[in-house]
Amino acid sequence: MVRKRERLEVIKDVLESIRSNRNIKPTRLLYASNLSPQMFKEYINELITKDFIKLEIDAKEKKTFSLTKKGQDFLQEYRVIENLIENFGL
Amino acid sequence: MFEWMVENKELLKFFYTFVIALVCAIIVVKTDRLFNLSSHKGIRYLRNAFLFYGVGFVIRSLLEIPALPFKFLNIFFEFFLIMAGFFLLYSLLWKRLETSSKNYNSSLFNPRIFLFYSMALIIALIDNLLGTYIFMFFSQIALFILASIISFKNYKNNGKKHKFLKFYFAAMLLSLGAWSLNAFAALYLWRLRFVTGVYMINTAIFLLFLYGVMKVTKK
Repeated sequence: MVRKRERLEVIKDVLESIRSNRNIKPTRLLYASNLSPQMFKEYINELITKDFIKLEIDAKEKKTFSLTKKGQDFLQEYRVIENLIENFGL
Repeated sequence: MFEWMVENKELLKFFYTFVIALVCAIIVVKTDRLFNLSSHKGIRYLRNAFLFYGVGFVIRSLLEIPALPFKFLNIFFEFFLIMAGFFLLYSLLWKRLETSSKNYNSSLFNPRIFLFYSMALIIALIDNLLGTYIFMFFSQIALFILASIISFKNYKNNGKKHKFLKFYFAAMLLSLGAWSLNAFAALYLWRLRFVTGVYMINTAIFLLFLYGVMKVTKK
């Protein structure tokens, strides 16, 4: 059986997809994140609200996502956060 | 050695409180930074536990000053200590009790935590009315029995992969021991030797938590 991803793991995967693809389009990010469209929308809204990612729209109305400083900080600290949660049974 | 400790009792008490308050402050700062990034509820409750322990111990140090007429502070001391225990237990339990549909913005002011506040306040008030610490001791003994069982399960399930789970379980057992010794001392003989033993165990517990936080958050 496929293991259900934890919320933090999903966030990490989405942010990593954005980091590795630099200015990724929404449709491509949806495929890369492996989420349902509904869940994808919820996660993206959360990440924008928390200032982890930003949505950029160019002159041709083309939408792309990019990482913010806070998003990069999260990816750098992800291992530490995961370590704390697992070692303290949180 | 023991005579020296008796002679310097006040100095040792101050040093004990200072060490624990400092340990709590470090843990709160470290966990708060990780909570701000992750919004993880378990980290949030763990941070709250050490915040309340820290405040509790600072209030306790004020109670040691004989010139201060703030004996009512004893209620706050008990309240913060009991709440800290509740937060620590809840950091282990929240996944089993909270549904993802109910998200409270504040971990300090929400209906669930309000229940803990009420219980802590009732225990602190009863103890102060009766001039005892017994209700606090027994509430904490019950709480740490539960926390020991949960942390033992965590250790059995994931102990090989995550090494600190073993120390976490040890910290819960030590806490249970310290509260039991406290209750024994309060019921039978309130001797300095017992109290010194409790202080030493408590210091070891907080240092163990500090070691864990420093170790697992090391990059």
